[in-house]
Amino acid sequence: MDPKKLKCDFPILNRKDAIIYLDNGATTHKPIQVIQAVSTFYEKYNSNVHRGLSELGENATTLYEGARKKIAEFINAESEEIIFTKGTTEGINFVASAWGFDNVAVGDQIIITNVEHHSNILPWQRLAKRSGAELKFIRLNPETFFLKIDVPDLINEKTKIVAITHRSNVLSDVWESSDQLKKLIKSAHNVGAKVLIDAAQSVPHEKIDVKDLDVDFLTFSGHKMLGPTGVGVLYIKKELHEKLEPYQLGGSMVYLVMEEKFEWKEAPFKYEAGTPPIAQAIGLDCAVEYINNNVDYKQLKDHESSLCQNLIENLQKIDDVNIYGNLERLKKNGHLVSLSVDGIHAHDLCSYLSSKKIVVRAGHHCAQPLAYALGIKSSLRVSFYLYNTHQDVENFLKEFRGAVNFFK
Amino acid sequence: MKDPRYYCKGCNLNEASKRDTNLYKEELIDHFKNPRNKKNIDNSDFSSNIHNLSCGDSISISGNIEKDEFGILKIKDLGFDGSGCVISIAATSILTENCIGKRVEEVLAMKKDYILKLLGIQLGPIRLKCALLCLNVLQNGLEKFKVEEKI
Repeated sequence: MDPKKLKCDFPILNRKDAIIYLDNGATTHKPIQVIQAVSTFYEKYNSNVHRGLSELGENATTLYEGARKKIAEFINAESEEIIFTKGTTEGINFVASAWGFDNVAVGDQIIITNVEHHSNILPWQRLAKRSGAELKFIRLNPETFFLKIDVPDLINEKTKIVAITHRSNVLSDVWESSDQLKKLIKSAHNVGAKVLIDAAQSVPHEKIDVKDLDVDFLTFSGHKMLGPTGVGVLYIKKELHEKLEPYQLGGSMVYLVMEEKFEWKEAPFKYEAGTPPIAQAIGLDCAVEYINNNVDYKQLKDHESSLCQNLIENLQKIDDVNIYGNLERLKKNGHLVSLSVDGIHAHDLCSYLSSKKIVVRAGHHCAQPLAYALGIKSSLRVSFYLYNTHQDVENFLKEFRGAVNFFK
Repeated sequence: MKDPRYYCKGCNLNEASKRDTNLYKEELIDHFKNPRNKKNIDNSDFSSNIHNLSCGDSISISGNIEKDEFGILKIKDLGFDGSGCVISIAATSILTENCIGKRVEEVLAMKKDYILKLLGIQLGPIRLKCALLCLNVLQNGLEKFKVEEKI
C-alpha cells in the first residue's frame, strides 16, 4: 500500500492549489473510479429499480443488487441482511423507531455511552421519553480514555438494547480491548437484549465481520469510506427480519395493496420504501472494490497510527497544547488526533489552517456530552485516511505552529 | 465527454470558490487582542446575553440609553464581556464602538450586510453566525429595554 500512489487517484487532492486534507472523520474524498462509476451509471444505465420491465430497468436493478451483494461480502453478511439507507444516522433512527417502538416499554432500559455521536444519542433519548424507558450511560474514564464497564451493574433483564459506537469520532478507540466489546455483546444477548454498533468510524479503517462481532444491527456511511454521500448501510441480522417491521412505508416495498390493507415483501425489500439511492449504492460498490483491491488493513492501521505517532510527538513539543485520547493506543492503532490550545478557539485555528489550504475539523464534533465530560467547548481534530502521508503531517505542523504564534 | 469543470450558467458551483478566504485582517486581530468597550457598565439600562452552544461562544452586552435634544432614544454607552473566536470578539468590539452615539431605532434596523461592511470581510454561511452574534445580543437587549420601558 503506497499512500503517495493512491493519492493520484483522487482528483480533488491533485488540484492546482492542492489542499492537504485531514478531515477524513467527517468525510473522505472519492477516487476517480467511484466518481466515474456514478457518472457512468447516469450516462448509460439510469433507470429506477425493481419496477418496469425495460432492459434499462433490468440493468439498473442488476447493478443495484450487485452492490448489495458486494457490500454483504465486505462485512461478512448475507445479501438480504444489507439495507441501503441514506447514512449512519438513518440506520440508527430506523432501529430506534421501527424496532424500538415495538420492543421497548415503561421500565425497560436502553444503554448507550457518553462518547456517542449525537446521531446515536438523540433517537434513544426520544425513544426513552416516548416509551417511559430509562436511558443509561456507559461512561468514559477520563484518566485512561477507555469506557468503564461494570457488566453486573449495567445489564439486567430490563435491558432491551445496547447501542454503542465501535470507534469514537473524537477519541478513536475507547474500548480497553476487543474482548471487552465482545463480552458486553455477549452479556446483552444473555439477557435477551439486542446490540447495535455504530461503525461509521471503524468500517473505513478496519475489517468488520458482523458474524464475528455477533451484533444484531450495525450501521455505517458510504461517504466516510470513499463512496458517495447519500448512501449508507444498515445491517439487520436475518433472525430479526420476520418480526421487525419496516421503518417507512410506500412504493417498492409492498407486494399487495388493497384499499384497506397491504402485504409487504420479504427483507431486504420491505425495508426500502421509495426509490433507493441507486447511483450512490453503485458508487459505494465501486468504493468497496477500490478498498478490496488497494488496502491491506494491517498496513493501513500501521500507516495511520504512524501518522498519529508523528503528530502526537511533535504536538507535545508545543506549549499549551492539550491532546485528548489514550495516547499510547492512538500511537498504536489510531487514525485521528483531537487537540486544543489554551487561549485559542479551535474555530480560529481551523480557519487559519484553511487559509493555508489545510483542512481539519473544529468544534464539538457532534458529541456535546463527550465535550462536556472532557470539560472542553471545542477541539481541533486531525483525521487520517489511506492517502495521507508524513509530508501532510509536516505541512500541518508547520502551519499549526504559525497559527499558534499568530493568535498568541 | 465534456470537461467536468463545465457548469451550467448560473450554477452555484461557479460562485463557490470566489470568496476571499483571508478572515484575519490585521484590524480584526487588533480588536481581538485589545477589545474596545470590554468593560462593566454601572447601573446599565439594559443587558443581554447569548450563549451559542454550537460553538461555545458567549457574548453579553449592557449599556445606557439617553434621550437626545429631540427626545429620541440614543445609545450613551456600551460594554461587553464574553469569550469566543476572533470573529465573534472582534465583531463585538467593532460593533459596540460603532453604535455608541447612534439612535436605538437605527441599531435595531441593522442587518447582516452592515456588519460585514463594518468588518470588511466576506464570510461563508458557517462563520457568518460568529459575526452576527453581537448584533443579535445588542438588538435583543434594545428590544427588551423598549418592552420594559413600555416604549
